[in-house]
Amino acid sequence: MRTRLTVNGQARELDVEPRRTLADALREDCGLTGTHLACEHGVCGACTVLVDGEAVRSCLMFAVQCDGRQVRTVEGLAAADGTPHPLQEAFSAEHALQCGFCTPGFLMLAAGALARDPSVAADPDRLRELLTSNLCRCTGYESIRRAVVRAAGELDGARHADS
Amino acid sequence: MVEGEMARRGGWAPARREDARLVRGAGCFVGDLRVPGCLEAAFVRGAVAHGELRGVHVAQARRMPRVAVVWSASDLPQVPLTPPMLGIKAAKGRPWPALATDRVRYAGQPVALVLAADRYAAEDARDAVRVDVAPLPVLLDPTRAADSEVLLFPGEPNVAVDKDFGDPIDDAVWRDAAVVVEGRYRQQLLAHTSMEARAILIRPEGADGLTVWCSHQAPHRLRGDLANALGLSRQRIRVVVPDVGGAFGGKSETYPEYLALAVAARELGRPVRWLEDRAEALTGPPHGRGQNQRTRMAADADGRILAYQLEIDADIGGYPHLGAFVPLNSSVLAAGAYRTPRVHVRARAVLTTTAPTSPYRGAGRPEAATAIERTVDLLARRLGLDPAELRLRNFIRPDELPYQTPTGFTYDSGDYAAALRLAMRTVDYEGWRAEQARRREGGVEPPLGIGICSYVERSGNASEFGSVEACPDGRFIALSGCCSTGQGHETSFPQVVAAVLGVEPELIRLVEADTALVPRGIGSYSSRSMQTGGAALHQAAGALIELARGRLAERLSVPIERIRYHAGTVSADGESMSLGALAAATGPLRTDEVVDPPQAVPFGTYIAVVEVDPELGSVRVLRIVAVDDYGVVVNPVIVHGQTAGSVVQGLGQSLYEQVRYDDDGLPSTLTLLDYLIPTMSEVPPLTLAETCSPNPNTALGAKGAGEAGCIGTPAAILNAVADALDLDDPNVLQTPLTPYACWEAARTGSGRSAARRAPLRVEATR
Repeated sequence: MRTRLTVNGQARELDVEPRRTLADALREDCGLTGTHLACEHGVCGACTVLVDGEAVRSCLMFAVQCDGRQVRTVEGLAAADGTPHPLQEAFSAEHALQCGFCTPGFLMLAAGALARDPSVAADPDRLRELLTSNLCRCTGYESIRRAVVRAAGELDGARHADS
Repeated sequence: MVEGEMARRGGWAPARREDARLVRGAGCFVGDLRVPGCLEAAFVRGAVAHGELRGVHVAQARRMPRVAVVWSASDLPQVPLTPPMLGIKAAKGRPWPALATDRVRYAGQPVALVLAADRYAAEDARDAVRVDVAPLPVLLDPTRAADSEVLLFPGEPNVAVDKDFGDPIDDAVWRDAAVVVEGRYRQQLLAHTSMEARAILIRPEGADGLTVWCSHQAPHRLRGDLANALGLSRQRIRVVVPDVGGAFGGKSETYPEYLALAVAARELGRPVRWLEDRAEALTGPPHGRGQNQRTRMAADADGRILAYQLEIDADIGGYPHLGAFVPLNSSVLAAGAYRTPRVHVRARAVLTTTAPTSPYRGAGRPEAATAIERTVDLLARRLGLDPAELRLRNFIRPDELPYQTPTGFTYDSGDYAAALRLAMRTVDYEGWRAEQARRREGGVEPPLGIGICSYVERSGNASEFGSVEACPDGRFIALSGCCSTGQGHETSFPQVVAAVLGVEPELIRLVEADTALVPRGIGSYSSRSMQTGGAALHQAAGALIELARGRLAERLSVPIERIRYHAGTVSADGESMSLGALAAATGPLRTDEVVDPPQAVPFGTYIAVVEVDPELGSVRVLRIVAVDDYGVVVNPVIVHGQTAGSVVQGLGQSLYEQVRYDDDGLPSTLTLLDYLIPTMSEVPPLTLAETCSPNPNTALGAKGAGEAGCIGTPAAILNAVADALDLDDPNVLQTPLTPYACWEAARTGSGRSAARRAPLRVEATR
């Protein structure tokens, strides 16, 4: 099936089987392998991407469902000039990744949440609920929590500087 | 000078070099490779735990679109046998073919291989293959399997290994002791659950060569195993390990799928890839743990431990693989941190019809620590002594080190009591005991328990290779035989070299995990990377300084004693050259070193504080304090990250994780909704602290780090829950401590406390 979607700002036209997952379309058809597959049944969140700004498990969504929609993956997180997103810097600064396999999913989950409502990082319960969406086997999570709080502070500072 | 540099630069944590690519999604895992013409694999697996393989019907599958081949064992030109690793003799007479030939011995054993243009097509064809198996009885418990008349390999006993450590303990010791306690513990089967499952891509190179990209911990071992199994020369096989999404002991082995794939790649002359899916990963192989333990401990009236006996029946699944080594690792460490004059272990590795086991983070050490630490707590309870006090009375003292245990292992350096005392101070042990007493007195709030685990472990076995070369451009290349699976070697290994050379770490680039570039190596497991691989690089960097001094002495025709080295430069008599310039002027400047230090003994004490709701059985972990001694720590941020991550894995074993089989031997934990690993919501407040007892057997002084959290956490949680429930018979508690398990234990294991709580229950309902 012909599917037109925008991935990281770039228009794509794909010819995919109806059953092809968004994750496979991104990885195999768009060559964007930063989106990782770890469980392929919607539990771990490693494949999280943003569809029209909302975090989705790309293993649970068909590519054809994204017809006409905007998809953002980890490759589109940094600025066009390569400047890293504050989340990317914070994950490194807080040692919030070890093997790095789950990292793109956590980054996109947090990026979507902070864009929608930056106050989530200031509320420990909501932040915990949010980050409970995804699994990591290496870090023990605390460093991921710290990284998101840190990035939220950076984003907040940038917003105030702009206004 | 070298030590001074280490002191200045060691214990320092630059940003990880790995992160720059990983946070941009620019890492390269096996699934990210794009090799033209590559076929994707799916394995047809037996749906019966144990049975005779009568037929594999592939005709329909072969006709399906985009399918290249569907092969069962009879279609392969050769059916290689899975090598047992480490020369484990248990595999003799018990062959594990790459694809099942006449029998299956665990549910999920590969029976046929499908290769297709993509995974969708491969899985369609996989599902169209019919496998005819005549079922045989299943064996799901190692102790029962040991005595069963059902033999997995007719003519060979199910007990694949039966080994004693230490001398048998005389009956009189048990008879005459003031107190004897006995424990019965079960270490459940676990799934490693690295976020990236197993993954391998094999490309044939000419008639007799292979390039292999594999998510692995030990590339040189894999190369050797493939060469032996396929009858190829090692020189014609190149193994490359790209980014690895976690391993935890489950990726150091060679598996039947790898061999079947290698045969297919050669036969077809095409690259082929297998990306394991999560259902395959959860059902194994590999599984970790899986031990039945019986313990017995005798002490005098003052609580001095007189004797300790441990019997292990380890489940090694349908085929003896590296899991057969795990109970031996438990045995060696059975004595724990205590000066116990008599220690005897009998360890059996037993075949069952579960999936074969392997080391899983801790690899026998959590099993050993849990057995003795639960038993010590039982003894404390029997004697009416505080469990911390009992431990302090029995610890091996620093002046007794090095200490040889009755099971034949030597402890190197440390102060076990200091680690316990630091943990007690850090957690505020007295404060929690007072709070516990207050709650027991009040009888309204949920009971609180404090659990201790004082562990010793062993890290780093075998030799390791390290090399440092000064390049003419002023940079340095370090080669290591280790293989990072997420531990950050690209960052920490250059730190070691930089500290010795007195240059900036940015000048040093690490190369590892490629058998074409690194001449030899063992890999990364047993917490061995920094302890052994770091020591090799430390030695190689020191040797490079000496080589450079000699080279300049020769060039200037002066005695070597006159040559001084400082910060990347050799000099004498007013003449000085950087190592890069020296290499440019005199030719390659490189040293290759192999170190083979004895195993080291990291140790520590973990204390957990929990609250248990006896009505609901739910456990709330209020605090975990982890005190570890890893010797010299090179990069504290990486080491603390390892500790935190392994504590949470240990929490998973304690409370949530278990591979389950049904009565027919079929796995019932098929998804991450059945097999529960901790999420952020389960992580308790965790405080890390350290003591530092340098490794006396290497110049670097590092001991292993990375597995301790899995070793110390489970026994601390178990002892805390038993303490909270005030159990007369803590043996009723077995991991995972699910709400049902704790609720049941509260009802059956607790004479005193049940009686005491009974009226409270009435009050609460009023």
